[in-house]
Amino acid sequence: MKKTKTIFQEGNHKWIAIVRDPAKPNYLIDTNEYLVTHDGKGLLLDPGGAEIFPAVFSALSSEFDPTALVGIFASHQDPDICSSLALWLEFNPAMRCHVSWLWSGFIPHFGGSADTFVCLPDEGGDIPLDGLMLRAVPAHYLHSSGNFNLYDKVAKVMFSGDIGAALLPPGEDGLFVENFDRHIRHAEGFHKRWMGSNEAKRRWCERVSQMEIDMLCPQHGAIYQGGDVQRFINWFDELQVGVVND
Amino acid sequence: MTTALATTGNKTPQAGADLLRIVRINEEIKSVVNVAFKINIMALNAIFLAKRAGTAARGFGVLSNELRVFSQELRDCMASLTGLVYGCVGEVSRMLQDIRYTRLLRQAVAMSPVAQLSAVLAAREIENERHAESLGRQRKQLKMALEDAFRMVELGGVLAKSAKIEAAYGQSFAVPLAQVSGEFDGIVEEIRVSLESLRRSAFFAGK
Ligand SMILES: [Fe+2]
Ligand SMILES: [Fe+2]
Repeated sequence: MKKTKTIFQEGNHKWIAIVRDPAKPNYLIDTNEYLVTHDGKGLLLDPGGAEIFPAVFSALSSEFDPTALVGIFASHQDPDICSSLALWLEFNPAMRCHVSWLWSGFIPHFGGSADTFVCLPDEGGDIPLDGLMLRAVPAHYLHSSGNFNLYDKVAKVMFSGDIGAALLPPGEDGLFVENFDRHIRHAEGFHKRWMGSNEAKRRWCERVSQMEIDMLCPQHGAIYQGGDVQRFINWFDELQVGVVND
Repeated sequence: MTTALATTGNKTPQAGADLLRIVRINEEIKSVVNVAFKINIMALNAIFLAKRAGTAARGFGVLSNELRVFSQELRDCMASLTGLVYGCVGEVSRMLQDIRYTRLLRQAVAMSPVAQLSAVLAAREIENERHAESLGRQRKQLKMALEDAFRMVELGGVLAKSAKIEAAYGQSFAVPLAQVSGEFDGIVEEIRVSLESLRRSAFFAGK
């Protein structure tokens, strides 16, 4: 089963990371799911693949009443992001899925109906959660061509999807980045190969370095906090992406 | 072949409903666990109070120790309930997953009756059955654990009521002793009512 860890809490406003399942088979890439709760309502960020639905569902229920989930935020269209969608909807058909307009015709292949999807325009937009305003921040081509991060300006937490992702070896898979230089080696190959556009990366780095971020939470690997957030942005800014050795 | 999921058409809402039921049970148990946590502090309070009252409340003193033991046992009991309900949530969500895949496979077999695909479907159904049996076992265990918890809490209620009676003999400490035992009784009753409703959940009607 996956573990849960509260990474931010202020009254009834919480960020909970759902991570690291020792029972997960190795051929599935490890993913982090995040739950944002406010006033008893919850939004699940990148709920994960169909294969890990039982692990995510049971871990989430140990912390939060899943009937109070109102929606899903899908950073992009990948199977490790939201192929579990049909199962979540089978449990609660009223849940809404916020996703780039680009994928609104593709993701229904994973499940959902015409009523399920709330399309985000390219410039992003606000996603309300029971009095809390979350912001979908554009991160197109990083790596998906219709891609968003989710920013919580109250918590100063940014869910960055595949940006900041690292494929961590056993023994170095703590939830938070502890030694940036050591950690970033496990992120380099991922960013070079999966991220497609240096121009888009430039714009993302400019945009997010203007934002107040205490924690940058990727969908794979470890969370950057404090000074490591800017350290990551600087590192990413320097990196040449869209590289393939063919 | 008859299997647990042989009638997939109407099993899906069944598993969905089961998941909703076990989620409700989980929520109720989480709130009971929180309440049970308070009991430990109350029992400590009762012991301190009894110590201060000394010989004036000897009977209450004996009971307050019993209440403390009870509160510790209740905590262990709640921990095992939490573990069992966690297992059930996992198993039911796995069955929901089974049902989706089985439905898709069955549609595929109906459209192209390839022998190999039928074999895949059959293997899938055996797996489904294994999950259903495992859920059945866990469901039974959870039911038994709930019964145990219920009996334990009923005993706690008796202790709390005796403490209320003993409090009356506490002379100058009668009022605070009555208050602490009254609060204890109130909390135990709250847990008892929660457990009572859990035992009646339709989740336990499934096999
Ligand atoms: Fe991706
Ligand atoms: Fe990913």
